Amino acid sequence: MEHRWGMAIDLDRCTGCEACVVACHAENNLPVSSPEQAGKGRTDHWIRIDRYYEGEFPDVKVKYMPVLCQHCDDAPCEPVCPVYATYHNGEGLNVQVYNRCVGTFYCANNCPYTVRYFNWFAPEWPEPLHLQHNPDVSVRVAGVMEKCTFCIHRIKRSKQDAARDGRALADGDVQPACVQSCPAEAMVFGDLNDPQSKVSRAAGSGRATRLLEELGTKPKVFYLQKVK
Amino acid sequence: MDRRGFFKILSATSAGALTTACGTKSDRLIPLLVPEHEIVPGEEQWHPAVCTECGAGCGALVRIMEGVRTVERNGEALRQRIAAVKKIEGNPLDPVSGGRLCARGQAAVQSLYHPDRLRGPMKRTGDRGRAQFTPVSWEEAIDAASQKIAKVRAADPGRIVFLTSSGAGTRSLAIERFVKALGAPAPVVCSLTDFPVERKAAEMVFGWKGLPVYDLAHAHHALGVGADFLGGWASPVYYGRQFGNFRQGRLEVRGHLVQAESRLSITAAAADHWLPLRPGSEPQFLAAAGRILLDSRLARNGGQLPAAVLERFQSADVPALVAFCGLDEKRVREYVRELGESDAPVVLAGASIVQSNSLDAIVASHYLNLMLGNVGKRGGVLPPAAAAVPATGNHRAAEALARAEVVLIDGANPAYTLPRSSGVFDALTRAETVIGFGRFLDDSGAWSDLLLPDHDPLESEIALVPAVSEQPAVTMARPFVEPLYATRAVEKTLADLARKMELEYQAVTAKDIVQPVLPDGVTLEDAARQGGLWLESKTEARATVVGQTLELNAAAFEGDAAEYPMTFQPYLSLQFHDGSGAHLPWMQELPDPASSAIWGLPVEIDPKTAASLRIANGDIVRVQSPHGSIDAPAYVHPGAIPGVVSMAIGDGHAHYGRYASGRGANPLSILAPVWEKSTGALVLGGTRVRLSRAGGPRDWIQFSTVDRQERGFDHR
Amino acid sequence: MAAAPELLPYKQIREDLFRPLSGVSRRYVLATCLAFIVGAAGLAAWVYQLRRGMGVTGLQRPVFWGFYIVDFVFWIGISHAGTLISAILRLTDAAWRKPVTRAAEAITVFALMIGAMFPVIHLGRAWLFYWLLPYPNSRLLWPNFRSPLLWDLTAIVTYLTGSVIYLYLPLIPDMAQLAEHNTPWRRKLYRALALGWTGSDREWHALERAMKLMACIILAVAISVHTVVAWDFAMSIAPMWHSTIFGPYFVTGAIFSGIAALLVALTALRKVLHLESYLKWHHFNNLAKLLLLMSLLWLYFTLAENLTVWYGNEPREMAVFGARTRAQYAPYFWTMVALNFVIPFVLLGIRRLRTIATATIAAVCVLAGMWLERFVIVVPTLANPRLAAASRGYAPTWVEIAITAATFAAMAMLYMIFSKLFPIIAVWEFKPHPEEDED
Ligand SMILES: Nc1nc2c(c(=O)[nH]1)N[C@H]1C(S)=C(S)[C@@H](COP(=O)(O)OP(=O)(O)OC[C@H]3O[C@@H](n4cnc5c(=O)[nH]c(N)nc54)[C@H](O)[C@@H]3O)O[C@H]1N2
Ligand SMILES: Nc1nc2c(c(=O)[nH]1)N[C@H]1C(S)=C(S)[C@@H](COP(=O)(O)OP(=O)(O)OC[C@H]3O[C@@H](n4cnc5c(=O)[nH]c(N)nc54)[C@H](O)[C@@H]3O)O[C@H]1N2
Ligand code: SF4
Ligand code: SF4
Ligand code: SF4
Ligand code: SF4
Ligand code: SF4
Repeated sequence: MEHRWGMAIDLDRCTGCEACVVACHAENNLPVSSPEQAGKGRTDHWIRIDRYYEGEFPDVKVKYMPVLCQHCDDAPCEPVCPVYATYHNGEGLNVQVYNRCVGTFYCANNCPYTVRYFNWFAPEWPEPLHLQHNPDVSVRVAGVMEKCTFCIHRIKRSKQDAARDGRALADGDVQPACVQSCPAEAMVFGDLNDPQSKVSRAAGSGRATRLLEELGTKPKVFYLQKVK
Repeated sequence: MDRRGFFKILSATSAGALTTACGTKSDRLIPLLVPEHEIVPGEEQWHPAVCTECGAGCGALVRIMEGVRTVERNGEALRQRIAAVKKIEGNPLDPVSGGRLCARGQAAVQSLYHPDRLRGPMKRTGDRGRAQFTPVSWEEAIDAASQKIAKVRAADPGRIVFLTSSGAGTRSLAIERFVKALGAPAPVVCSLTDFPVERKAAEMVFGWKGLPVYDLAHAHHALGVGADFLGGWASPVYYGRQFGNFRQGRLEVRGHLVQAESRLSITAAAADHWLPLRPGSEPQFLAAAGRILLDSRLARNGGQLPAAVLERFQSADVPALVAFCGLDEKRVREYVRELGESDAPVVLAGASIVQSNSLDAIVASHYLNLMLGNVGKRGGVLPPAAAAVPATGNHRAAEALARAEVVLIDGANPAYTLPRSSGVFDALTRAETVIGFGRFLDDSGAWSDLLLPDHDPLESEIALVPAVSEQPAVTMARPFVEPLYATRAVEKTLADLARKMELEYQAVTAKDIVQPVLPDGVTLEDAARQGGLWLESKTEARATVVGQTLELNAAAFEGDAAEYPMTFQPYLSLQFHDGSGAHLPWMQELPDPASSAIWGLPVEIDPKTAASLRIANGDIVRVQSPHGSIDAPAYVHPGAIPGVVSMAIGDGHAHYGRYASGRGANPLSILAPVWEKSTGALVLGGTRVRLSRAGGPRDWIQFSTVDRQERGFDHR
Repeated sequence: MAAAPELLPYKQIREDLFRPLSGVSRRYVLATCLAFIVGAAGLAAWVYQLRRGMGVTGLQRPVFWGFYIVDFVFWIGISHAGTLISAILRLTDAAWRKPVTRAAEAITVFALMIGAMFPVIHLGRAWLFYWLLPYPNSRLLWPNFRSPLLWDLTAIVTYLTGSVIYLYLPLIPDMAQLAEHNTPWRRKLYRALALGWTGSDREWHALERAMKLMACIILAVAISVHTVVAWDFAMSIAPMWHSTIFGPYFVTGAIFSGIAALLVALTALRKVLHLESYLKWHHFNNLAKLLLLMSLLWLYFTLAENLTVWYGNEPREMAVFGARTRAQYAPYFWTMVALNFVIPFVLLGIRRLRTIATATIAAVCVLAGMWLERFVIVVPTLANPRLAAASRGYAPTWVEIAITAATFAAMAMLYMIFSKLFPIIAVWEFKPHPEEDED
């Protein structure tokens, strides 16, 4: 394959400011639930900030950790889908085909990272909030599973732009919304096939770890651990 | 993308950008209004904009594409294709945002397309505060308003009060001119996010006008005191970016941050060490730090200190002071020494939670920086750039309201941000006229006689001076989408009022702000197309010390310690700031960093206190101060300082659109009417409270119900 | 004690067993209507769910499987009553099986029909269920045979087909007898179903061979079906699902609950259809002993499963184990142990206590216990995902409860209608051999 997209998140930079979360909402037409639904855990956050407290006062620490689809190379969510609605594309992305999904929930059960979100009802946007919808991203119907796409539409756009200008895609040309927004520049996105790319170098750094690596899911999101 | 490349593209494509549709976003930076026919489906355009969600004034870019809205035309609903804003991102040219925006800034688009925006001028029909209004025409509205204002003006122009937000730019200039024309007193900044104490301190010590700039990105070792600079402070994006580079932006060095603060803010969370300060003990902590530096010969520049100040530091009793702060002396000494030994140390002090003695703290911090010899130096504290327009000085809103006959409100929400005890509601009831310019019917709007709704900032022409900037800067935007409704820019409304009252008044445009500071060779158009003007900062400002003294007052707390054993800290939250972000659904559903709560904010209580009061997560607690009480869900915060109760500001709006109205409680409402003496800023942390369990869990929604990774089996 | 049914005159046997087919009592009509109403309510609930979306259930991230999957596994389990009992007994040619087999085989068919509905009911877009089927379509799209759900589908369809044939074969001779003299429409029905059975030796031998063959096949299929159901869980990498013994564990549980279901059904038939002289103590006694045996086997598996996890002490497995045995799901877990082991062991293990009544009570307990077992397997694992921050609980809504209740009603209704159309005990089995059959 030509590209193998991956991301690195530097937890030493990340402040837990959640700019990335809103960026993803804005970019990907994520519906806003209601307090009633939110109370049932029915919110949509393709990227979320897991927060853990460690130790006791006064030595208490908070750990913030952005968690999104890890685009596993051996994605447990893929083989279990009976209709191929979630599959691995040529560039290593774990792709979700909304039109094809019938809503068996199996993929979500088998995602160790719990990053798959379901459309429990038909999403609603009171007029004129819908004007904000990003036309590059389809609005999902009730009954289908959804999750982080690594902003695949932005990847496509960048490729088109590069093709138009007759140049090869350069490192940093593709910026998912969350990466673009991050004030601390904690996130890096790029091509893991290119050993010179920022993300490849980050992945090679001594601080790089992957979430639940021991499961052999081969995630393509690398977490650079906080320096203690 | 880097800024140089960006400039290249700009010079290459100007108006031509209009026609070429595909390309990277910067090719299509278009400063002009997008006529409907220019919108080609599937094609995007990018326009420079200014984020006005907080005072930082980040430069932004908005993405415009086709959108279809339904409009009512003589009875039938029609679908109309319009240029719609799809997304807001940072403007890479802008040194403040550097192409990034915070969560709140990105949600600004939901303010533009909020279903409950005011569609046009309205006139009160019910009693004040009952929020009953009926639409009127602009002519009618302007007539009514001008008559009422003129009447009072004839009697005593001194009784006309204009309440405004923080930030200096087109808006503040227009208002300045308007009140001047009326012969009324200067406008009053009624805001929690103007940080007058920080401004005052910088002026007292260095004679600087504006907020100092902390060059964190080049510092090696930082000591933060009382400033949640990554969350609720002067310029979250700017300092967020600085922090990233401070930590991992340099190969040779990783920045080390020690944060001394009275809550575990996201800044304290990101720090390498958190020193949980007793609320209000910041000056004492800094005095001790100064003494430690002097004792350990690390005050490399101590000679520059004014004698009186040096004497004050030297006489500081470290053990006593550190104990008073509720800290461990060994640690404090260790951390302060590390700071002193660093090549590029900086002390970053502020008042995210204003205390009666916050000025002393920040003044002390400046002297500490002076001691460390980093003032005006790379990696230290830099002077603010000369502003194109001066910031408004007066912050004594309650005082002003007390004598107000005409109250004009723009960008402020006194009914929410002023404590009940300040008599704000009496004032709003008593006043002859209250006129609101807000885009929403908010708490204060409900008390207005007339609502003259402003355009959304994304529909307006704006020039704004960023609150924190080392180089002279103005962020600027021209309107690029048609206003959705029959709203009117306040600049224009004021001009209309002035004309009606036959005042000597000259309407304000961005030109008034930008033109004076334009360097030769650069036109207003260039500025408009770049989204602002950023001039090279002058050569290193040398530290000229005008301050002579250092005071170390103890913080004053209202309420008897026996009856009200806890100290209460309403704080500026990441998602809602001073509460003005509460109407945005994305913000409501953004987990609160501390508690992970959504659709409602909790009271943060330490585990010991909670246990002693039999309060569990989500239980409703009553927070009682000498000036009132609120009920809110409790969050038992593993990092809360025992005896200190904190609560994010944002909930408890009487009126503020469907997503915020009637949700939760407003912690400001029960504060004592105490103001920081030198500036008139509301003292957020100066009120004592008493807690009691008021019921079982209610309105308690946590995005994540688990606090710890290594967990017992007790969670639900 | 009365003579064994074999010793009764064949005439009387025919009378006794065909009698229930003619005429309906008021109590029967009432019972059927009641069942129908409950069933209809469930159907309404499902329609509501289809219209509004899956949000009307109590499901939520991360508990994406709840009551529906529990019901699914439960009913597929029940379906193991018939096949196993009748097939095993047929193959071992146990004499006492005669009055029991058909009742059992009927349970199988109906339980399967009900169980097979749940995978559809729990779909986010149920109306597109057919995308799981390998059918030719313009987009040349095929289902994904790597997905255990597809194995499930295949297994269940096979099992249902087999069970229907297996129920049908032994019906043929009775159909022929019933077709002789009867009300017109019934005569038509039975004649059609009899497939022109004349009772010639050739036919008898063909039938015998067919039934033996089907018995073998159905046994294999039955075991594989519940193994595959178990693999829906075991093939995942979720803590305490990913377990090698789930296959046999589930099969055991299935047979366990199947026998319990059969016991309950027989008691009911005995009472309602006055079959005291056919369904006798030794039938119940034998089934009770089988139930006891399965209870012990089930306990063994449950121990093996939980003990290894506890001893292994892997944190994420322990989170689930703790949730099951100590925290919010402990009540369900321990009730399950009581219902599936303690009570049956006492009632059936102590000979003095073992009666038809206590055997039935034990069986009812086991049914409830096995439903809980499935709940305790499905929910706690999902509620405690690997990333602790994503943990949440689950509580069903009225929709799920209504649909669940409806399936039990449906079972009762189908069974009652069946017992009105067909002799619930195979009559011909009591028929003396042709050559002895003079006069
Ligand atoms: N009102 C309106 N009508 C239009 C158009 C429009 O824009 N508006 N567009 C026109 C155009 S350009 C086109 S191409 C046509 C498209 O019209 P259709 O061919 O109808 O395209 P869809 O409606 O997208 O898809 C048809 C159905 O296929 C289903 N489907 C998805 N995956 C599968 C699968 O694996 N197997 C099977 N059997 N079905 C599957 C979808 O759920 C949908 O119900 O519509 C034309 N008609
Ligand atoms: N989720 C989802 N996405 C799909 C599909 C699907 O089924 N589901 N279907 C796919 C298919 S098959 C197709 S063909 C595409 C169709 O997708 P599009 O090509 O986007 O087609 P439309 O959205 O129907 O029309 C696009 C725009 O063309 C504008 N338009 C109409 N007439 C003219 C004209 O004369 N000149 C110009 N410049 N604009 C005009 C319309 O106002 C509309 O805004 O969508 C594809 N995308
Ligand atoms: S935007 Fe960046 S810093 Fe903020 S939470 Fe996300 S990753 Fe962390
Ligand atoms: S993270 Fe989850 S959803 Fe994403 S690829 Fe891995 S298993 Fe699939
Ligand atoms: S929910 Fe959709 S994507 Fe997931 S397994 Fe089922 S059909 Fe596939
Ligand atoms: S990559 Fe795109 S889709 Fe994924 S979390 Fe980031 S913004 Fe959302
Ligand atoms: S920091 Fe303030 S100005 Fe900058 S993006 Fe956030 S809200 Fe807007």
